Amino acid sequence: MPECEPECTETLLEVEAYLDGEVDPALARRIQVHLTDCSPCMDRAEFRKHLKELVQSKCTERDVPDALRDRIRQLIADP
Amino acid sequence: MVQAAPTPDDEALRERFERDVLPLLPSLYGAAVRLTRDPTDAEDLVQETYLRAFRGFAGFTEGTNLKAWLYRILTNSYINTYRKKQRSPQIVEGPDDVDEWYLYDRLGGNNVERSAEATVLDTIPDEAVKRAVESLDERFRLPVLLADVEGFSYKEIAEIMDTPIGTVMSRLHRGRKALEKALWETAKERGFVDA
Repeated sequence: MPECEPECTETLLEVEAYLDGEVDPALARRIQVHLTDCSPCMDRAEFRKHLKELVQSKCTERDVPDALRDRIRQLIADP
Repeated sequence: MVQAAPTPDDEALRERFERDVLPLLPSLYGAAVRLTRDPTDAEDLVQETYLRAFRGFAGFTEGTNLKAWLYRILTNSYINTYRKKQRSPQIVEGPDDVDEWYLYDRLGGNNVERSAEATVLDTIPDEAVKRAVESLDERFRLPVLLADVEGFSYKEIAEIMDTPIGTVMSRLHRGRKALEKALWETAKERGFVDA
């Protein structure tokens, strides 16, 4: 773990909430500044971000079965 | 008591439902597949969700969070019906034994180059990622799906799951750790990493 500085500890602790967009602006700014300066922390943050994107892209169903679409339409037309 | 279905006179309501709720079908269906782990059950779950949503749509306040409202109906329908039906054993223990940087540390051990960890992730096939997500206990799977696939905020997830926000954060964190472990096991089994 790249815990060379207190900023590393704070960043790694908060990076999950940061990537979820759930930290206050002041903390987000501190994390951004630290990530720009610290490549080991940046590498971990990028990895977590990549993992989030992977889950999103692979778990999205792009094709809804036609039969289901028809059932829903019918349900709205005649509930 | 079940609310009466809108009558054909509610044409404006029906049009608004078609305009606002139908476009969410792909994302609701996707969540239903990951939740039920079965395409047929997923279709039934989505149909039930739409039926309940349609019946309750008159009571939905336009301008409030429609997507979260629908996911709450989906989640409740799933819990009430499909979880009972599936009778899957409830795993009580969460993945507390998983290291904080489980997957990163392991993938990093296989690759000396910086940022190579992320590249290895891309070699894992879609199906394997889906299976890894589906392998999570539902208490952890649901927040991961809602946060990472649907992009809901912690507050929205708390409302959808009817749980305190602290519980959402803790389950999300543990769910992601469990997912990292599941992905690692998958990658190992399929020979994507040398372990």
